[in-house]
Amino acid sequence: MIPTLLGITIVVFAVMASAPGGISSQSLVEGQNLEPQAKKALEDYYNRLYGLDSPAPVQYLRWLNNVSPIGFTFDENREINGFSFFKGSDLGDSFRYGRPVMELIKERVPITLLLNVISIPLIYVIAIAIGVRAATHRGQSFDVGSSVVMLGLWSVPTMLTGVMLIGFFSSDQYWHWFPTSGLSQREALDMAFLPYWSSFVDVLWLFLYSAVGAMLMVGLSRLESLPWRCGAMGALGLVMGILMADALPGESGVVAYLLLGAALALLFTLIAYTDYLALRLVVMGSIGVATGTVLFFMFQSEGFVRGFFLDRSWHLILPVLCLTYGGFAFLTKLTRTAVLENLLADYARTARAKGVSEKDVLWRHVFRNSLLPLITVSATLLPGLLGGSVIVESIFSIDGMGKLAIEAVKARDRELVLSITLISGVLTLVGYLIADLCYALADPRVSYD
Amino acid sequence: MNNKAEAVEAETTQAEMQLSERAANRSYAAQVLREAFTQWGARFGLFWIALLAAVAVFAPFLANSHPLLVSEGSVVSSPMLRYMTIGDFVMLSVFITVVILLFINIRFYKKALILFVMGTLTAIIAFMLVSPPQLTVYDQYRAKQAAGDYEWVIHAPVPYSPKDYIRDEGDTGLEKPLGSESRTHWFGTEENGSDVLSRMIHASRIALGIGFVATGIAMLIGIIIGGLMGFFSGIVDMVGMRLVEIFEAVPTLFLLLTFVAFFDRSLYAMMVIIGITSWPGYARFVRAEFLRLRQQEFVQAATACGLPLRSILFRHMLPNGIAPILVAASFGVASAILAEATLSFLGLGLVDDPSWGQMLNQAVQSSTFNWWMAFFPGGAIFLTVFAYNLMGEALRDAIDPNLKKSAS
Repeated sequence: MIPTLLGITIVVFAVMASAPGGISSQSLVEGQNLEPQAKKALEDYYNRLYGLDSPAPVQYLRWLNNVSPIGFTFDENREINGFSFFKGSDLGDSFRYGRPVMELIKERVPITLLLNVISIPLIYVIAIAIGVRAATHRGQSFDVGSSVVMLGLWSVPTMLTGVMLIGFFSSDQYWHWFPTSGLSQREALDMAFLPYWSSFVDVLWLFLYSAVGAMLMVGLSRLESLPWRCGAMGALGLVMGILMADALPGESGVVAYLLLGAALALLFTLIAYTDYLALRLVVMGSIGVATGTVLFFMFQSEGFVRGFFLDRSWHLILPVLCLTYGGFAFLTKLTRTAVLENLLADYARTARAKGVSEKDVLWRHVFRNSLLPLITVSATLLPGLLGGSVIVESIFSIDGMGKLAIEAVKARDRELVLSITLISGVLTLVGYLIADLCYALADPRVSYD
Repeated sequence: MNNKAEAVEAETTQAEMQLSERAANRSYAAQVLREAFTQWGARFGLFWIALLAAVAVFAPFLANSHPLLVSEGSVVSSPMLRYMTIGDFVMLSVFITVVILLFINIRFYKKALILFVMGTLTAIIAFMLVSPPQLTVYDQYRAKQAAGDYEWVIHAPVPYSPKDYIRDEGDTGLEKPLGSESRTHWFGTEENGSDVLSRMIHASRIALGIGFVATGIAMLIGIIIGGLMGFFSGIVDMVGMRLVEIFEAVPTLFLLLTFVAFFDRSLYAMMVIIGITSWPGYARFVRAEFLRLRQQEFVQAATACGLPLRSILFRHMLPNGIAPILVAASFGVASAILAEATLSFLGLGLVDDPSWGQMLNQAVQSSTFNWWMAFFPGGAIFLTVFAYNLMGEALRDAIDPNLKKSAS
């Protein structure tokens, strides 16, 4: 842990020092047209942090001393005057923002973490739900279909999804259903946390609408006869597609109606077609709830304040969608392989032989063992998500750490770039640690004493 | 001692060659390849990559404002050939050599040598003979054709260069696919008026080049470090694994951003940067393979013969452990292409040449949402990444004995 952390700092510093001209060259050269006092201040700043007249290893040690929370303290003449355990870490100042880097990062990290904390459970739930099913029904249509779809999803670049989603679903040209940017509307910051209605009856009505929608859809999804199920869902999709085409601003041609109607009808039929009851229940139930809610708000929207929480969720839907699909596509394939391997293992056969029911074999024996590779991967999932949030944050203009990183790189604000790389490395290491702990939880054979 | 070792090595190679001649097409890697490419997914992937390679090589023939052939006053000339750069010629010659070499049955390193020699030769000859004009005026042909100076003209299938903004026609700008009456833009135009399809065709070179070269660099570093780690194990292994962990702990994109911030942004710098940030995966694979192989008799025999280290590592161990690395490389090319696209998309990539990611970026930067500017380049990235992933998947299935056992 500690050696890796030190190693990260060495790599980061080496990149910086190996840049043409050394550590501060660009800032100083680009500061050529500064006023003399400002330039002097810049030079002094770098000198204080790195000691520019010393060789690179010494500069590294000085920088390390600055960054680490315990270390030596210096007086004005850059002489060591003591050793302190509480000096606090100094990541330097950002020139672009004119503020200490630490402050900036403290502002931005929670936002990126929020995105990731929402995404990770979603990724795991979807991956396990689909992966286990694919493994237990190996070679059947669900397995083959989900394998191809997941491989495809895994290959869709996040940028494409983000651009298309924001272009179609939050621009005035098509459907303006979602906000274009940011994590909350300006006015939502003054609202209460929870949504608020002027009359209690409205709340009841909302519940009624969504409950009816959900019940209808759940009933439909539990229908045994395949033609009826598919037919009803197909018709529903057709109607929704036509309504969507109708909601397009301006004159929408026949092609739009046909295309959208056919696409949604196909999608809904496909959902109804699958023989995976739980998936059908959840997806169709959510469609029902969503339809009910939308219908309610179409008729009665007065006297409703959506509150901070709903506003935040509304802003989060598209970014989280972009952030999750790649992860669960990857993890689904992994889950499938792991479960498959364990289902064919000797201990599973033994369990079956002694009369354990197939359900118990799957969830009590096989699943627990299949979790191990998933936990191992979770350690690499976090860096991936942090990287993914760079793209997502820049598309949806969310002021998280990823966006800060791009702004820093574009402005060549090196203190900021270095600190961000360092912090993301540390976050990843924390992820590794958590993964190790989970490993011990899932597998009693592993212990760290 | 050294002499003796070399003699022994020569002998073993001789024996090896005889063996390999007998087992001509039955080496493990060839077996794996054959098995992988019987699947339709891998075939589709291979087909798409081959198509892309052909498009990339023949880009000036496919999308060019300069006509392929014109007859002006009964003199036939080819403006396109005149504007071809050294790079175009080298690509063409290398491509033709590769196609020829595919049908000749000689050892791999000889093929590589021939390829290298051909590439260098063409580069030198082209450097001496070819001098494309510095100034390119795209509208001269259209003007001349309109004036009726040409008896006949053969245009490229897409008669627009990637940086031809069609200024001479005045009303150009953003156009939907097939949205203009006077010109045919299959995939529409971007905001400055240049043809999206033409830009995509020329950008396929960047995608393919980055994919291959960056992965090659990463593989080279990974094989050397991983090979040493696996062969020596012990303390070398421990130090090496810490190094791998360090590089894996920093998210690749952040590391890339850091590099991009401090170095210049040229195509070659980008290849190197993506290469040196993505080697740890290969090192892990090679290490695992070599740890397994080092206990086997043939390696111990090679060591006992006193063969030099490079011979043991690369001539005896590597060919036996190459299969998992092929899988990793297939996925690696995909992620290298994605990395380049991501950097370009974030506006940190190449400055003036179009690349797929940069075209996506253009789509975001424009004030209105124009789906064709995002959909086609993004779709190209998706298909290419998908193709490599399909091939990787098929290769992985082919080398996995577990799956085979369970399938039967």
